[in-house]
Amino acid sequence: MDFTAIFGDYTAIAPMIILIVSALILPGVHLLGKRHTATWAVALVMAAVSTVINVLMLTDSFTGSALGMVTYDAYSGLMILLFQIVLLLAVMVSNASVETTRFNVGAYYALMTAAATGMMFVAGSKDLMMIFVGVELTSISSYALVSMKRNDARSAEAAVKYVIVGGMSTALTLYGISMLYGLTGTTEIAAIAQTAQVQGISLMFGIAMVAMIAGYGFKIAAVPFHMWAPDVYEGASTPVSLFLATGSKKMGLSVFFQIFLVMFVAGTACSKIAGPEIQYLFAIIASITMTVGNIVAIAQNNIKRMLAYSSIAQAGYILIVMAVMSEYALSAGMFHMFTHVFMKGGAFLVVGALICVGIGEKISDYRGLGKRSPFAAAAMMLFLFSLAGIPPLAGFTSKFFLFSSTMGVGTEAGVSADAQWIWLAFIAILNSAISLYYYARVVKAMYVDRGEKTEKVKIPAAFAVAIAICIAGVIVLGVYPQLIFDFCETAAHTLLFP
Amino acid sequence: MDFPILSLLILIPLIGAVITLFMGGTRQKSAKITACVFSAITLVLALLVLFSSSDFAGMSESYEWIKTGFITIGFSLEVDGLSVLMVFLTALLVLLVVIFSAEDKEIEEDRPNYFHTLLLAMEVGLMGVYTASDYFLFYIMWEVTLIPMYFMISWYGGPRRHYAAIKFFIYTHVASLVMLIGIFAMGFKAAEITGGSIDFSFASIAAAMEGANEGFQALVFALLFFGFAVKMPAVPFHTWLPDAHTEAPTGGSVLLAGVMLKMGSYGIIRICLEALPKGAEYWQWVIIIIGLVSIVYGAFACIAQKDLKKMVAFSSISHMGMVMLGIGCLSYAGITFAVFQMFAHGLITGILFMVCGMTGHKVGTREIPLLGGLAGKMPKYATFMMFGFMASLGLPGLIGFWGEFPVIYAFYEFIVANDVLWLLLFCMLSLMLTAGYYLWAMQRTLFGPETTKIDLTHAHDVSKSEFAAMAVLCVLVAFFGMWPDAALQFIEPYTQGIAALFGVI
Repeated sequence: MDFTAIFGDYTAIAPMIILIVSALILPGVHLLGKRHTATWAVALVMAAVSTVINVLMLTDSFTGSALGMVTYDAYSGLMILLFQIVLLLAVMVSNASVETTRFNVGAYYALMTAAATGMMFVAGSKDLMMIFVGVELTSISSYALVSMKRNDARSAEAAVKYVIVGGMSTALTLYGISMLYGLTGTTEIAAIAQTAQVQGISLMFGIAMVAMIAGYGFKIAAVPFHMWAPDVYEGASTPVSLFLATGSKKMGLSVFFQIFLVMFVAGTACSKIAGPEIQYLFAIIASITMTVGNIVAIAQNNIKRMLAYSSIAQAGYILIVMAVMSEYALSAGMFHMFTHVFMKGGAFLVVGALICVGIGEKISDYRGLGKRSPFAAAAMMLFLFSLAGIPPLAGFTSKFFLFSSTMGVGTEAGVSADAQWIWLAFIAILNSAISLYYYARVVKAMYVDRGEKTEKVKIPAAFAVAIAICIAGVIVLGVYPQLIFDFCETAAHTLLFP
Repeated sequence: MDFPILSLLILIPLIGAVITLFMGGTRQKSAKITACVFSAITLVLALLVLFSSSDFAGMSESYEWIKTGFITIGFSLEVDGLSVLMVFLTALLVLLVVIFSAEDKEIEEDRPNYFHTLLLAMEVGLMGVYTASDYFLFYIMWEVTLIPMYFMISWYGGPRRHYAAIKFFIYTHVASLVMLIGIFAMGFKAAEITGGSIDFSFASIAAAMEGANEGFQALVFALLFFGFAVKMPAVPFHTWLPDAHTEAPTGGSVLLAGVMLKMGSYGIIRICLEALPKGAEYWQWVIIIIGLVSIVYGAFACIAQKDLKKMVAFSSISHMGMVMLGIGCLSYAGITFAVFQMFAHGLITGILFMVCGMTGHKVGTREIPLLGGLAGKMPKYATFMMFGFMASLGLPGLIGFWGEFPVIYAFYEFIVANDVLWLLLFCMLSLMLTAGYYLWAMQRTLFGPETTKIDLTHAHDVSKSEFAAMAVLCVLVAFFGMWPDAALQFIEPYTQGIAALFGVI
């Protein structure tokens, strides 16, 4: 389908335009309609329309740019699709969730849509300023989203923590960007890389890089910048936790790919500008992040906190891409991001659904769930086993690709052509073993332990549909990964070798 | 091959598992009939594979599954002389377990459909492991067997089932992860040697590994061997087994000992020996010693056991040690009879665990000191127990004899060649011990004056379905005992190929 007839010069940002319109009209819709369900329906339909348009553009291999700053190609299209899936899942269940009933839903859906729009702009930009603006759009919207549970002290604490840490990270990033601009006279990523190659790497350049890595490290909750994540995920309402854990974090990772991978890998001409030191830096961050995430997760009794720490660990796995810096690793990383949306998103959905029927967030509250709600328990088991990487679920397949990228396959000339990163795979696999322990604890509580209550519970229909979608995702991507992996490969190639 | 018989071996139990999963509520009673039908169809398919041709040459199927720029993964299945008996054994034991458990009251009362779902799901994984000829598929199926077993133990098991289940799960999962690292390492090396993308099929990795040096092969062999040895289990990685067995329900124990342990030895032969012969030669002494220690330690531990089922569990360790010893000889006779012992032990252990399960159910306890004189009250039960014990201790004329003595002969060849005759002492010791603990256990449970320590008024003899299941196994044990060649004709052509890798025929 040809969208240029409708969107003209702005076709490259067509999916975002729909969502911007949506975000602008939603408060009005709520004011006029005064019905939660009507507002929800508008938000959902607009998100769905945007998704359909993007899928058509992606399968059409559309390429183009708009505003001189945002481009649409195989990479950004795929990332936009990921953010749209997250948005759809989060919006779909928001109306049924008891946690959101007291919210000003007009503002709630508008903020969520705006946050998703910001992520999409990030995915399409090749310029540091544009990335910065997109990240800020997402961040500021999410601060408000987190604080929306107004009579919950945990929510307030989470929001304050999130704002302060977020502000810190913004400042660091901006500092780094300004130094880069001072050094090279441009904010375009490819141009910075070329200039840096001509000038050589100065100390200033290194400081700027470190500032930016730290700044965006906050966004993906890489250790040691991870302390905010468990509090925020615990304090926010579950649909928002889902949105942040699966969406916002992916945006941070996408920024890593777009800035650092592109600078250090893209076009062999500027491959070695920072040498292997930066790869080691990322390898260390990756291994520490996954290890700390997994070990601290063992001690958690609140399931949302446990999922938060497991999210940190998962980000650690994906950071393997940054250490290996190969095209294959990038496609594997993107694939893992997709499977992670379904498995982590699914797990948060189950938690949210159970809160609606009066089952708390403690692991001990899940005792006997296998008899009380066989569907929710089976779904949770699938998601947790997938996160632990048990075949034939999606989490295993994506980890298999991701860890096998450390073996040096698919590396381009000049960049780590041997298996020097195989030790990362060892650490990652050991981590998978650790993670099984705390996931199995939940499964044991659900199926083996006897609970105090035994009456059956029925989870809301909207949650059931969303959970079913995630189950389908976890199984289909596990058995037939090529459905998405082909797109990931094209995307990775497009990003690194445009 | 137009008729995808190997895929159906995996698909049919899968369909059965899904159907029984949804047979809740009032339909629970018919779950066992469904399970029986599906496992019977699988057995028929397995027999078709077994009798597909007069001189069994194996069969294979391959479909493209995942193909990316850098990795090729096929849905490839293959059955040859090594796996065909295991496939048959799996199909047979699953059907017999369904029949055996048909009148089990405890299962009847506690969601019987899930029990059958777990059984059939396990069959999917087992069939997958024994037929896979691609590392990715192999690993997936390997892990697929884990989860049903975990739930089998933690739902239908004994009093300490939660501890046993989680121990089994974590222990073997960690071992599989180590194995996964080994698989990665091979994949990487293969890509480096062939200079292309990674193809995870058994054949292409094995071909590429010929170019790998001894150091690499030895390293990867150690990783894979660890994964498999935990599963077998070999001393000192055996501690999960007695717990898992003691707590597992009878059906679970039969499958666990009968076919799941064989996954370990199967993996050692299929992967470690086939792909890494230099590694095998490097570690030969370690394999032999682990085998010997397992045999002797298992036998000693048997004597000390008070729980009948735990005793049988330790005897499994001892007998799987025999398999390990046979493999360790790296000779034609050693490997052939190691494979034969896998098959033999699968049949015998089925009888043994069924007998132990019945002891617990019918008498109320499995504590040997509390039992005594059961032969008078339960003659059929006593006959089966005696038959099982005799087969297991290697009475000539039964299948156990052909599993053990030729292995010892192969080992004798090995020690003569290496001039370490004193090692034979351990073999003799284990033979004596094996005969000892079986006869002693038999004497204390079946014979002598009838026990007064427990109430035997409710103890009744073997039911019809239990009788049927055990009778089939007994007939097979006697049949292959008289005519071992019926099984050896499948194994021998395969081991000729393997032995050639080690330059011995």
